[in-house]
Amino acid sequence: MAKGPKNKKFDPEVTRIILESISDGVFTVDHNWKITSFNRAAEKITGIAAEEAIGRHCWEVFRSNMCEHDCALKRTMQKNKPFVSTSAYIVNHDKKQIPISVSTSPLIDANGRILGGVEIFRDLSLVEELRDALYSRFRMADMVSRSPAMKDIFNILPQVAESDSTVLLEGETGTGKELAARAIHDLSHRAKKPFIAINCGALPDTLLESELFGYKAGAFTNAVKDKPGHFAAAEGGTIFLDEIGETSPAFQVRLLRVIEEREYQPLGGVKKQKADIRIIAAANQSLSDLVEKGAFRRDLFYRINVVRLRMPPLRERMDDIPLLASHFIARLNRLRGKNITGLHPEAMEILMSHSFPGNIRELENIIEHAFVLCADGDIHPRHLPSHMISGTSGTITRRNGHDPVKAAEIQVINQTLARHRFNRKSTAAELGMHKTTLLRKIRKLGIKLPAVDGRSRD
Amino acid sequence: MKIALTVWEDRISPVFDVANRLLLADIKQGRMVKTSLMEINPGSLPQLVEIFKRMGISVLICGAISEIPANIISDGGIQLIPFISGKTDHILDAYIIGKPIMPAFAMPGVKRCRRRRGQLLPLSGNEPNRGKRPGRVSS
Repeated sequence: MAKGPKNKKFDPEVTRIILESISDGVFTVDHNWKITSFNRAAEKITGIAAEEAIGRHCWEVFRSNMCEHDCALKRTMQKNKPFVSTSAYIVNHDKKQIPISVSTSPLIDANGRILGGVEIFRDLSLVEELRDALYSRFRMADMVSRSPAMKDIFNILPQVAESDSTVLLEGETGTGKELAARAIHDLSHRAKKPFIAINCGALPDTLLESELFGYKAGAFTNAVKDKPGHFAAAEGGTIFLDEIGETSPAFQVRLLRVIEEREYQPLGGVKKQKADIRIIAAANQSLSDLVEKGAFRRDLFYRINVVRLRMPPLRERMDDIPLLASHFIARLNRLRGKNITGLHPEAMEILMSHSFPGNIRELENIIEHAFVLCADGDIHPRHLPSHMISGTSGTITRRNGHDPVKAAEIQVINQTLARHRFNRKSTAAELGMHKTTLLRKIRKLGIKLPAVDGRSRD
Repeated sequence: MKIALTVWEDRISPVFDVANRLLLADIKQGRMVKTSLMEINPGSLPQLVEIFKRMGISVLICGAISEIPANIISDGGIQLIPFISGKTDHILDAYIIGKPIMPAFAMPGVKRCRRRRGQLLPLSGNEPNRGKRPGRVSS
């Protein structure tokens, strides 16, 4: 009678060949945590030869972030059961972190005795690289987005950059207008020349003129020598004029002349200077509305409104919050030398329910705040600013967070209140309820209102 | 001089990036006069470097370390002796008597990759006493 496969003896040489030919790293340890076998893939991933690894403690060879505090092999041997696909990283001799996934299993002989443990690990560097490549599809210069609203901007930006036309960027504060301007500059033929950003709203009119156009000695008291302005400094490059809507009519006339004639006159000077500069202007309010109100010159508006891009506020691209948060976390990890892994789902939930009146800048500040309080691992709700978890500024309170109906009600009421600057009457009108019903709901749901109630504004 | 070692039980912590305990050793005239333990947060490296400077710690002996923390520590003027493994008292004993701790206590795979023309190179490349063999007590 032929012997069944159960009785067949497995050739150890075949086992060795199989282990040597697979692409996953495999090593085994005895009860003293000393390495007893180390396959070729393990050599390749760790950069350590088998003869050096065998006989050494596994943590000296493997050097993963789990070894000291959460050893997968230890768990396996204590509980006598396998663990699969734990994410970790190892540090190789070049001080590079190699992302890996780890599976462990007890090593049991034919009599059921535990001989030690086996660890199988896979190099995820390629997966991470592919993830990065995928991520790069959602980025343009330093801007990241996967929302359809921004995709249109990303698509058009290279052509805008190439055109050398004057660009008008409109959008609320913190929506990334300066980043977009810098992206246009970086993608243009002027990329190697200077990019100078100036906030027109931050300077009084006369100072703005002297800062932009420069001045000659004797132009005014204390002007003892010539001083070149930002236009001279940006020669050949790009000048970004933020908050252009805040400038005076007199300054607008001078700027119009610069754009039309491509030359400017320093303060106190008699000779005009050529300006080979691209101008990108930005406003946090609609310039066409300002033109209608007579607060902005129509002729200048038409001059700068050659290409107009509207930067959407964050509340219109909420699906970008996880991507933006990861982007800021990665950047701050590099800057601060930290190893924050990401956002805990509860913290993400809080972010997703926030109305972000300060847009992306507010999100960046929130992540920066969390970096101060979070040492490593994930960012948890306790690391977020207190106002985010106490129910103000349109955030769902955690105590109501478990009731989706209440949470949705709070979110809708908060967002509508914010849109109507906390005017209860117009909020109630939009929500289709009486003002007293709204007030009753506000009390019942524990929504905190600011001291200013908005009645005086409408 | 004061030196610091990242410790896990009685040995060097395998990975500095996640280590949370330091053994501080005060060495005077070739003798260890005092040791103490200190909890650390490797997530706040610039603060850790400031603490090192304030406490007069000039050398850090640790296990594997990633590039960013290694650079921050070296740029802070701390002599870094990384990729060390073994019992902390053995390493301290060797260090005090001026016995080179590299390659004797090197982690596997380190000395082979760091050896060039028969020389052991400083591992971080930014040590203040670059040129000397790492692991020797400076006089």
